[in-house]
Amino acid sequence: MPAKHLEASVRYPPGERAGAAVIELRGEIDGFSQEALDAAYAEAESRDPDIILLNFSEVDYINSTGIALIVGLLAKARASRRRLLACGLSDHYVEIFNITRLSDFMSLFPDEESALTKSAGA
Amino acid sequence: MEQKPPAEEHTAQKQPRDAAYWARHVEKLKVSEVPAEAINLNVEGRRTAGALQGFGQLWQKTYRIYLGTGVTPEEVVRVWKEKFSEFQPPQNRFYPSLAGVKPGEMLLINASMKGMPVYTGVIVLYADEECFTVMTPEGHPESGWNTFSAYQNEEGHTVAQIQSLARANDPIYEMGFRLAGSTEQERIWTHVLKSLAAHFGVDDPVSLEKVCVDPRLQWSNVGNVWNNASVRSMIYAVSAPGRRIFGLLRR
Repeated sequence: MPAKHLEASVRYPPGERAGAAVIELRGEIDGFSQEALDAAYAEAESRDPDIILLNFSEVDYINSTGIALIVGLLAKARASRRRLLACGLSDHYVEIFNITRLSDFMSLFPDEESALTKSAGA
Repeated sequence: MEQKPPAEEHTAQKQPRDAAYWARHVEKLKVSEVPAEAINLNVEGRRTAGALQGFGQLWQKTYRIYLGTGVTPEEVVRVWKEKFSEFQPPQNRFYPSLAGVKPGEMLLINASMKGMPVYTGVIVLYADEECFTVMTPEGHPESGWNTFSAYQNEEGHTVAQIQSLARANDPIYEMGFRLAGSTEQERIWTHVLKSLAAHFGVDDPVSLEKVCVDPRLQWSNVGNVWNNASVRSMIYAVSAPGRRIFGLLRR
C-alpha cells in the first residue's frame, strides 16, 4: 500500500473562537512528516494564538516516530505558554495517547466544536 | 466533554493498520517471565514514563551508521530485534522476555553506571518491520523513548538509526547526566550501532546529532527521585548479605 504522506493545513476560527488556530492533519504521521508538521505549527504560531488545536480526524496511521514529533510540538507549545489540544482521535489513537502519556499534557476532545467550546475561557 | 479511554465494546470497530504494532495501554507494568539470571527490580507495578514526565532537559539525540547497499532495512531491523541483547556493551545486560521484541513485551536491564548497579527495564511500545521503540518506566535514569530503525537514504544506502527523545527522570540523574552520564550513554548507543554494523561486515563511523527540545527543568516532577532505580538498586545490592542471612535463619 503506498504511503500517504502527511498534509497539514491551518485555519483560524472566527468570532468567539478567535485566539485559536486549528491544524488539520490528513494522511500518515511518521518520520517523514516532520517538515509538514513543523511548517503548519510555525504558521499557526505566527498569529500568536492562545490555543492550537490538532485535528486528527483524517489521520489513519501514526507510528512511534510520529508520536515523537507530536511530543516536540507539545514541548514548543509549553515553552511559549500555549495550549495544545487534540481532537478527532479514534479510540485506537486515544489509547496510544494514553500509553505514551501524551494525554497527561494534552486535553483530547471528540471533535473540533467541543474542543473550541470547552477550552474557551478554561 | 473530553475523550476518555476507549471502552471494551469499541474494540470491534475497524482498526487502523498500525494497531498491531502498538503495545496495549496498561496502568502499571507487569513482568511475567524473568530469566533466572536477571534481577527483576524497579519495573513491576511502575507506570511508564514518557518524554514529558521526567525532570531534566529534554534532548533528542540521533545516532546513525551507514550499512551500504548489501542489506535491506527490514533485514537490519529483524536482526536487531533478534540480537538486541548481544549488541549491548558488556556492562549493559538486557533480558528480553521469551516472546522477544514485540509490542507490550518487557526487557529487563541489569546495568552498571560507573560501577553503580542499575536494575530497571523498558517496555516495547511499538514494533513493526522497520523500527521498534522502547519506553522507560518510572525510576529509570531517563524518562522517554528510544526508537531503533533502519531506512534507505536517497542514494539507496541502508542507514541504521537510534533516536532517543528523553530527559533525566529526576534531579540526581540530571546531575549525573551533566557530569558524565550523557557521554557514557552516547558511548553505549555508539557501541550498539557499531556492533550491529559489524554483524553485517561494516566498519563505519557513527554520527550523532543532538537537539535540546526543551531546556527547562520540570521542578513539578522533583518527587520522581523517590522511585530512583539507581538508589534502590544500590540499597538492594548493599542489603544482599543481610537478605542471605535472614533467608538462612528462616529455614
